[in-house]
Order: sequence, then C-alpha cells, then structure tokens
Amino acid sequence: MKLLRHRRIVALLTMLTMLVRLAAGCGGAKTTSGDKTGGTESGDVVKLGFLGALTGSVANYGIPGKKGMEMAIDELNAAGGILGKKVVGIYEDNKGESSEVANITQKYISRDKVNAIVGDPCTGLTKVAAEICQKNNVVIFSAGATGTGVVEYGDCVFRNTLLDKFAVPAVVDWMINTKGWKKFAVVTSLNNGYSTALTPVFKEAIKAKNGSIVIEESVNDGDTDFSAQITKIKQAKPDVLVFTGYYNEAALMQREAQKQGLDIVLVGGDGLYGQDLCKLGGKAVEERVIFYCGFSSDQPSPETAKFIKDYRARYDEDPDMFSAQYYDAVMILAKAMTDAKSTDPAVFKKELAKVKDYPGVSGNTTFRPDREPIKSPICLITIKNGKFALLEKIPVKVE
Amino acid sequence: MFWQQLINGLTLGSTYALIALGYTMVYGIIQLINFAHGEIYMFGAFAGLFLVTRFGVNVFVAMLGAMIFCMLLGMLVERIAYRPLRGRSSRLSALISAIGVSIFLSTLMVLIRGPQTDRYPDTIEISSFSLGPVQVSSLQVIILLVAALLMLGLQVFIHKTKMGKAMRACSEDLDASSLMGVNVNRVISFTFALGSALAAAGGVMVGLYYNAVWPYMGLMAGLKAFAAAVLGGIGSIPGAMLGGLCSGVLEIFGVAYLASSYRDAIAFGILIVVLLVRPQGILGKPISKKV
Repeated sequence: MKLLRHRRIVALLTMLTMLVRLAAGCGGAKTTSGDKTGGTESGDVVKLGFLGALTGSVANYGIPGKKGMEMAIDELNAAGGILGKKVVGIYEDNKGESSEVANITQKYISRDKVNAIVGDPCTGLTKVAAEICQKNNVVIFSAGATGTGVVEYGDCVFRNTLLDKFAVPAVVDWMINTKGWKKFAVVTSLNNGYSTALTPVFKEAIKAKNGSIVIEESVNDGDTDFSAQITKIKQAKPDVLVFTGYYNEAALMQREAQKQGLDIVLVGGDGLYGQDLCKLGGKAVEERVIFYCGFSSDQPSPETAKFIKDYRARYDEDPDMFSAQYYDAVMILAKAMTDAKSTDPAVFKKELAKVKDYPGVSGNTTFRPDREPIKSPICLITIKNGKFALLEKIPVKVE
Repeated sequence: MFWQQLINGLTLGSTYALIALGYTMVYGIIQLINFAHGEIYMFGAFAGLFLVTRFGVNVFVAMLGAMIFCMLLGMLVERIAYRPLRGRSSRLSALISAIGVSIFLSTLMVLIRGPQTDRYPDTIEISSFSLGPVQVSSLQVIILLVAALLMLGLQVFIHKTKMGKAMRACSEDLDASSLMGVNVNRVISFTFALGSALAAAGGVMVGLYYNAVWPYMGLMAGLKAFAAAVLGGIGSIPGAMLGGLCSGVLEIFGVAYLASSYRDAIAFGILIVVLLVRPQGILGKPISKKV
C-alpha cells in the first residue's frame, strides 16, 4: 500500500515537471534586440513604433516589414520629416507571441509615447495590440492583418491590406472557372487564428461557386508530421488542396505529399508569403503552391517600380508584400499627419479615415466609411526556380 | 489506407523509440528521468545539419559526427549537472537539475542561431516506390532500418560485453556494484554517452525525414518519447522499443480515424492510463523495495 502511494506521488511529480517544462519552453528566450533611440524628447520628433516578429516562426513577415518601414522613414526625413519634425522608428521584436505584443505595445505607449504604431502583420496579434491602442487613443496601422474583426476595435485601428473576404471569392472563382478545379480538400491549422478565420471564408466561397469539398482536415502549427493527413487526402482524390495556415506547415505538407506520390497544387492566402516556404519546401513546392496577395515585384506599376529599384539598391534583395505594405503604412500616416497639421493621434486619425485612392507601392488603397481598406488588384503568386513569381493578376470586385 | 497509416506510424514510432531508449537506460541505472534528453536530440539534429551544410559531408557521416558530438555533450551534462548531486541530495534535486539543463540547452541554441526553422539540404534524393497498396519512401526504409540496427546493436552490447554487464549490474544495485569493484561513475557516464548517441541519431533522421530542425523540437519529441518509455516499462530496453513503436502507431491512427486535434492528447492520455492501470508499463517488472 505504501509502495503504491509512493508511486502515485512520483507520477504526480512527473506530470507537474512536464507541465513546468512545457510552459518554460513556450516562453522562449527573453532577449530583446530593440534599437535604442535615447535622448530624444517627444514633441520635436514623430515616433513610430514597429510591431512584428524579427525572430521566431513568423519572422518572415516582420523582417521585410521592418526594412520597408526603415526605408519609408529615411525617405521622409530626407524630405524634411513630417511637419518639419524628424521621424524616428522604434523597433522591438515581438517574436510572434501575444504576450510579447501586449508588453511591447504597452511600452511604446507609456514609455516611448509614440504617435502611431505600425503593425502587426498577423491578424491575431494585431487584435491584441488594437485593444490596448484603442484604450489609450493611439493610432495603430496594421500592414498585414487580413482576417475579420480588426477595425471593429475602434476608430484608432486601421489596416492596409488586401482583405480575405474580398480576395477569396475572386480566387475561388479563378480556381473553378479558369483552372477547372472543382473538388477541394480544405486543411486548417487549429492553433492558428488566421487559419481558423480564413477556412470559413474559403468554405463559403466554394459553396457559393458550386465547388465541392471532398475532405476537411486539420493540423497544428509546429507539427512536422503530416503523413496521416496526407494519406487521408490522397484517398479522397481532390483536384486542389486549400491550406489556410502559414508557410512552414505548407512547405512540410507539400514535402509529405511528394513523399507519398500525391501531385497536387496547394492554394492559400498571404500567410504563405514567407521566403522559408521556398527554403523548406525545395522542389516539393516548385509550381505546386499558389497564394494570393496584394503585391508582386513582377510587372510593376510606375509607383512600384521606383520602390523596387530603391529597395534592391538598399538591401540587395527583392521587396515583398510586407515591405511594401509597411512602407505604404508609414507614408499614409505621414500624409494624414500633414493633412491634419498635427501629430496628435486624436486629431490625425480623422484625416487618416478619409484616405481615398492612395497610389501606394502595394496597390491602390481606399478606406471605406467603416475604415476597411479596399485594395486592387490581387496578385496570384507561385514558386518558380525557388523564387516567388507572379502567376496572374485578377481584379477585385467589391459591391 | 490502413497499411499506409501503419507505415506512417511505424516511421514516427521508430524515432520515438530511439529517444525513448536513452530515457530508459539512464532511468534503469540511476532512476533519474533525464529531461535534458530531448535537448540532446535537438543538438544532435543541429550538429548533423552543421556538418552537412558547412562541410558537405554525406548524411551518414554527419549522423556519426552528431552521435560523437552528443556523446561528449551527454557526458558533460552528466558531469556538471548530475554527478555533483548524486548521493548527496534527493533524487528530486537531480530531476530539477535536469529540467534546468533542458531549458538551458534549448535557450542556448536560440542564442546561437535564433529560433527559426532550418532544414537539411536535399542531399538524399527522396524516391518513393509502391509496395502493393502502400507508398513507401526510401527515407522511411532507411529510418526503420537504422533504428532497428541501433536497437539490435544496443541489445547485443548490453548482453555480450563487459561494459554491458557492468551496466546491468549497476541497474540491479548501484552500491553493491561499487563494492564489487565496478567503477560506477564511469558506467553512468558511459550510459549517458550511449543514450545521447542514440538520441543524436534520432535527431538527424527526424531532421532529414520531416525536413525541419528548430531549437524547441526536443521539447515535444522528448515528452512523447518519455511517455513511450513509460508505456513500454521505464528501465526496460525492449520495452522502450515497443513503447516507441506503439505510441507512434497509436498517434497516427488517432489522427487518421479520430481527429488530428487529438494528436498530443493521445500520446499523453496513454501515459496517464498506463500510470494508473499498470504503473510498471508493458514490459517493466514491478519493483519491490526492501525496507
């Protein structure tokens, strides 16, 4: 009896330590690599806080975003700043974690006293920051949140991105009518807010266009083994695989499909827009992944061409959607502040809401009365020779 | 579909089995659950990756290199974090120390190269062939073969060599073995080296197969392998193999026939059930302690 009890205690302890370990692992490293601006007082400068991950699983969105933002700020300063004030960017790495986003947003507002926050590229994280910003009356301008329920946080919340609810019906229409794909497999990443929000949008559009969903599967972000799901999908014989999650899992899923001899195109949203998709996917994603987004460096418009040229000269690489949208976000903020003749968020937010047909480098932007942006056209991107390449541009039809 | 899922499960299971062996060997001898084992596995995956990308070596050479590196790492961890505590303080402090080492190692890797995911270059061409209704990839065959060979080698080593005999003696009674002239510290150090080498082999193979290597990969894999070791009977070497294969197959079948979201719940659900119903595991012997 005594022995038994002893063993129970050991079992309990083991469980406890496992929990502790799990929690510790998720917390991650506590290093911050923020650029110190120091010594400047708010008032004679305009401060913009950057939200985005510079390390971690969604760093592929944040790193190009930061580059676009830095470039925009330098261009503004070269032209005399905003209303004669120097523009200063403050950069912290939120690692793609909600708790870090909350900490950093709080720090930007209470310690740095920023005039506006640019970011985050992820919908779920933007919502975390939006709530804090709205409460403190600071403007937040997301350069990537495409999911629903973002600007609903209040009149301080803006975004500059192609919305899923406008893009998906057009993309589904293209898949069914141009490509002739009618049987869909839909895969969701359950622990990814972007994915769980995007899946219903796709399902609704597929139903509306009379496509059929032959199988629905789910995975989790951070999974590496997709063998069971791919085996099931192969059995259902779909024409196309819709995956609503991020690039890491998409790359590994296509590798698994290749291993099992399943030759299928994976279609998704701009969550797939990360260089690691090509790096992790290798040959398995070559022309086997298509996603939609609001920017492509191929076939540029005149506004975009100059941006691409300057970006290449500065960073020795091609800009992507996130660098373009962060760049535009800073520029649109600057325009609103100039028009409002004030850098006070409570004042310039009204000018910001009036932006119409702004010819940005990431397409034309107009804010509807409910502050939702309308951007056109949609770029369909695929991978050729290990690089992102424009497949087609399709127009957005909004009521 | 059943056979395909079985193959998927066996591949996943054999990687768990390789990690589980390290847990079980260390536990068998010093009754310590070495929680840093998953991180050794992660370091093995990175050591292999480093050798392949920096020196362009063959993957098998890289695996060997990773095994040697992790042997040394495992011995170092034992020397620094566990040996000073042995005999002097309770078993619980060694367990806490193990958790500390685990967090230290994964954070160290983040500091060295950041938390992003990396992958092995396409050095092994993935070819797949059909076997009746089943599609098998060459990598799956290699993983199953290497795992089986390493396990077999370990079994022979434990039963046929002098060091193996010393290890078995130590697992029976540490003090008595020491009185009989067995250099206990050396045996324990060797156990850590052997377990770590197996984990490194697992790390390299998983890195190759799933094409993803990242600093926190040891966390879940380590926990699941631990659950597998408990399922098989912690302390028992054939038990670890069986436990690993069983939990791999059960996990895949869970995803295939229940729902993917239950994946991790299955692995740890098994652990809880085993601890309640048969605490010694499938092949473990009930331990009777003399007072």
